[in-house]
Amino acid sequence: MLKYSVIFFLKDQNKDVLRFMKDMYELFSSRPDSFEMIVIANGTGGFLKNMLTGDPEFAGKIKAFEMSNKASQAVCLKSIMNECNGEFFVVSGSYQQLMPESYVKLLDARDDDTDIISPWRQHRFDPSIYKMQSTVFNAWVRWITGFNMHDLSCNVRIFRREVLERTDLYGNMYRFLPVFSALRGFKNKEVKCEHFKGHGEPRKARAGFYHLSIYLSRIIDIFTLYFNTSFIKKPLRFFSSIGIISIVISITINFILFLQKIFYGQNMALRPMFILAIFLLVVGVQSAGMGLLGEIIVFTHGRRKREYIIEKII
Amino acid sequence: MDRANEIMDLSIVVPLYNECENVPELYGKIKSELEKLPLTYEIIFIDDGSTDGTWDVIEKLKANHPALKAIKFRHNCGQTSAMVAGFNYASGEIIVTLDGDLQNDPSDISILLEKIKEGYDIVSGWRKERKDHFSRVLPSRIANAVISVATGVKLHDYGCTLKAYRAECIKQLHAYGEMHRFFPALASMTGARVTEIPVKHHPRKHGTSKYGFDRIFKVFSDILAMSLIIRFSSTPLKGFVFCAIPFLFLTFCFGLMGCLAVLLDFTKGKDTIFFIATALSGMGVIHLITLGVIGELVVSTSDLTHTRLPETTKKTITIGKDQGGSN
Repeated sequence: MLKYSVIFFLKDQNKDVLRFMKDMYELFSSRPDSFEMIVIANGTGGFLKNMLTGDPEFAGKIKAFEMSNKASQAVCLKSIMNECNGEFFVVSGSYQQLMPESYVKLLDARDDDTDIISPWRQHRFDPSIYKMQSTVFNAWVRWITGFNMHDLSCNVRIFRREVLERTDLYGNMYRFLPVFSALRGFKNKEVKCEHFKGHGEPRKARAGFYHLSIYLSRIIDIFTLYFNTSFIKKPLRFFSSIGIISIVISITINFILFLQKIFYGQNMALRPMFILAIFLLVVGVQSAGMGLLGEIIVFTHGRRKREYIIEKII
Repeated sequence: MDRANEIMDLSIVVPLYNECENVPELYGKIKSELEKLPLTYEIIFIDDGSTDGTWDVIEKLKANHPALKAIKFRHNCGQTSAMVAGFNYASGEIIVTLDGDLQNDPSDISILLEKIKEGYDIVSGWRKERKDHFSRVLPSRIANAVISVATGVKLHDYGCTLKAYRAECIKQLHAYGEMHRFFPALASMTGARVTEIPVKHHPRKHGTSKYGFDRIFKVFSDILAMSLIIRFSSTPLKGFVFCAIPFLFLTFCFGLMGCLAVLLDFTKGKDTIFFIATALSGMGVIHLITLGVIGELVVSTSDLTHTRLPETTKKTITIGKDQGGSN
């Protein structure tokens, strides 16, 4: 069993990745712990092959995996997990995010009590509009989950193999690994790090905003996270709260209309508000029905998922 | 986890959460009670991620009493999970659960066992004279009445942790969330025979109660979920059609009124509103029935079949070495 599996996601055809990997190789070689280098080409297999044939000496030092189609980071990690021999996984994207000394700091922060370490980039070299977006995103996640995490946008993580085995990571949820692991009782640590400046010359600034679909998918991710943290085993609580609110409003409207009919003689059925009341009643009952369906799914299909993690038996 | 070779007569499962002051006394009391019985037994403590050093106390106790078994959770997972972990680990033919706060009296265990011997599968304790504040007793009374009606299993005290189960009844249940209250109701789905018996109740000595007032909404939401699961989880379409009937009635009424409005013209031309209402509630009917069909699909694809307990286990089993029931 090795100490570290150093894993890179190669999502973009980024020419600097070879240099990044070599730097990391140097960094880990200078440390006493054993390690292995792994690169996952996610839809960039041809690019990786070309790059490695150009440098056969380094190619011998790394294990490369090619994903047949564009899979999310969570799926990549889960599928190569059994090929990795490290006790700890050190995961990075294809761009270098942190200064080398920050990597050392992260590795030194590891102790027996910590299960997952995430960096918190301090002086970011990004346009202020990016930083602002990232701040809003992280604050939102903090508010929803109640966990004190500051930099989920950075994809560098160091975690125990067990963390990946015991969390149900899927879809776009790799970003939220610290949250998922905290929900399962793993101990998080956040370490203040320096954002990577670039080699020599400062990095080029990118455009101010992401594509609209990215914002949409982030919002959906956060909603998924919210549902995962609060209601995954009790869907009826979520749906019945919507249903109850909607039914209560519907009954109130009908009651007011009824009073107006009695005291003012207004015809109840001919008013648009009446349609609204009926509509809300239908919505309320339907969402309660959805909740019931959710409960049935959890009850009949959730048996394989154990809710507790045993630390020790004596 | 697999300890099939050592079969006991009795397993005591005690979920503990921040009960460090109570643990030694509790263990002593249970042990002295069980020594009086002619049974082989084991005591299993489950530390549900306590933060007050309960685990250290358990480890110290284990050093003096090697027979004690204990499970430690990585974090607080809730009483249901603690009990399920205990059930999975237990190797006794009969499992008794007990509260960790000394409010249950271990001397009642023998009374529960008597009832099990009579042939019941689950015996629930009933704290007839509760030593709690009125503000806790009243909501609990209401909740018990509602659960009894909703699930069809009538018990006075669902909240009492002191219960005895025949192992094969409880081990096959799928329990999650905060279902520990509903174990008897859940087990009755599989044909278990449930009864209750009055037990003693003591006021709390150490520590504080772990329950808050906000539980009421949650408990009632759970009761609703539970009663729906018990009634409809094997036949969801039935449940949804049941929900759709009022809407079917509404659709019919609105449609009739719309037709009358057109024929008799008592709304002075404003009859479209009736048809909109008809369409809305009709949509509700269709949607609910569709949900029911999806529900049937979900149930039929699941590997959980609502098996009844085999008839052999319903025999009155004898417990204790002297009666030759088990080794």
